[in-house]
Amino acid sequence: MTGRRGGRPLVPAYLSTGGVARPSRPHLERLSVLTGAGTPAPADLPAAQLALLDALDKGSLTVVEAAALLRLPVSAVRVLAAELIDRDLVLARAPIPPAGRFAPDLLKRVADGLRALKHN
Amino acid sequence: MIQIPDLATGGLAVGMLSALALGGGLLRAQRQQAKQRAEIAALRRQLDGALQAFTAEVEHLAARRVPAAARQLTHPHVAVPGPLHPQTARAPLGLALEHVLAGLHTELAAQRTRIDAAAQAGMRGATREIQAGLYRLQDALRGLQQKYDDPELTQTLFQLDHENEQSLRRAQVAAVVCGAWVGLAREESHLVDAVTGGQARLAGYHRVRVHNHLAAGTALVSHAVEPVAIIVAELLDNALRHSAPDTDVVVNLEHVHHGACVTVDDAGLGMTQDERARAQRLVAGSEPILLTELGDPPRMGLAAIGQLTRQFDLSVDVSSPSPYGGVRAVLRVDSRLLSRIDPDERPPAASAPRSTRTASRDEASLDSRVAASDGSRGEASSPSHGYGAEHDDDASGAASGHHAPRDAGGLPQRRRRAKVAGAASDVPAPRPAVRRPEQAAAALGALQAGTAAARSAADEPTGDASTAVPETAGAAPQRIEPAANDTDQTDHEGGTAR
Repeated sequence: MTGRRGGRPLVPAYLSTGGVARPSRPHLERLSVLTGAGTPAPADLPAAQLALLDALDKGSLTVVEAAALLRLPVSAVRVLAAELIDRDLVLARAPIPPAGRFAPDLLKRVADGLRALKHN
Repeated sequence: MIQIPDLATGGLAVGMLSALALGGGLLRAQRQQAKQRAEIAALRRQLDGALQAFTAEVEHLAARRVPAAARQLTHPHVAVPGPLHPQTARAPLGLALEHVLAGLHTELAAQRTRIDAAAQAGMRGATREIQAGLYRLQDALRGLQQKYDDPELTQTLFQLDHENEQSLRRAQVAAVVCGAWVGLAREESHLVDAVTGGQARLAGYHRVRVHNHLAAGTALVSHAVEPVAIIVAELLDNALRHSAPDTDVVVNLEHVHHGACVTVDDAGLGMTQDERARAQRLVAGSEPILLTELGDPPRMGLAAIGQLTRQFDLSVDVSSPSPYGGVRAVLRVDSRLLSRIDPDERPPAASAPRSTRTASRDEASLDSRVAASDGSRGEASSPSHGYGAEHDDDASGAASGHHAPRDAGGLPQRRRRAKVAGAASDVPAPRPAVRRPEQAAAALGALQAGTAAARSAADEPTGDASTAVPETAGAAPQRIEPAANDTDQTDHEGGTAR
């Protein structure tokens, strides 16, 4: 995505999940927010799960962001995240629904109204 | 005076004498002739015998020795029988026949090499096309994996990708055995990536355990990446094939003097002395490879390793038994083929096992920080997406919840948000154990209470305001600042990141 890595990746995506593509929990979405639970990682964690846990070490990431960071497809990150959630190593929060976000139109109208009031 | 009768008597006597002499001579001549005839007959018999022996010898040459000599070319254990009569071997005939065999051997060997070269050329052409097609297929599959994230579809895509990798491996190995180039130019890559990439090309990759004891950032120069991946894949394939399905194959990556080693151990039956010698001969790559020597179907793995070790100055050893009972294969990569990649700037693949070395890792990140600060390398100054890079960047980006978007090719790059503990304190701040909605509410409540307290006591410095928060907000002191920072940052982010 950044163009820094040319050529094809050496390690295919299926290796990260051991060939599994069906996440153990279906509700993870692209914009679900993942947060590390802060418990130390167990020693037997597969490399890719450890990498995801590491990426969440100091903050939160959405599933797509984690995918971009680890250079994996979103589907693979969903599997990894679901496994980590199952082991209580990661917390997931549903994405903020569109209704809860700011409506730019409304805000603009409010700002316009305020400006109009100020000028009057 | 001589009387007539006397004369007659004398003449008779002389005649008789001469007749006797003549008769004796005749008799002797006859006897000699008979002797000579017998001699001639004996000689003829001898000649017949010699001729028969010669014919038999040549027939023996045609029927037994020539086929055996021809077969010996492909099966070295076949013994060429000697001449019928041992004494012929020392005779000129024996030497001449040996020359016939030697000439035949030379000509057959040359012919065989020619035919094999033709077969190899044909196969090289075919596999090159197949390989290119499979790479295109791989691109398409990876594109689909990125584009769609429906689990069922992804499952199929993963399976197809894996099948494709295996086909690719076979095509590539066949091409390499036939003397072709590995078929793919890669950029400088981490050694552990090459090993993990090789692992992914096998059906039984689940059984492979990779232990990485290399210093972080140990990499291969670009032209050695694909050969190492191929060699590791073939060594692993051998190990997986010759060990029980419920056993693991253990791979260790270690530094050695003047390079790095990839050790593959399996817990199978091991090899017999003969097999071991043959395998060692093949992987050494000292002899030219003939397709006809690889069996039917040709077992190409070891031959491909031999070709690559010869071309790329790698060395493979399969001569020692493994402590696990099976075979230990050791690939040694000379330090001339090794390089270093900054692991923070370009971390290894997520699936590649982490290095077990921690001390050198810190040292490596220190190096990278120096490289990034002097800014001599354009790439080094761009913010990395590496998951290993966080410890460095936190110090500089502590002022805000976000890392400052530095320029990378003119585009601001979004960094993930880091929780900022008290920036000045060296003591690592205790992390909030879990961030639940109730706690977030409590933190916000604490913020409000803190702000109110600060306003009420206007002369107090604002930094102390956080101490006045109610006891209910357990994690409040650490959480206030990031929360306050977040309120003005969230506007830009659309509130999705937290």
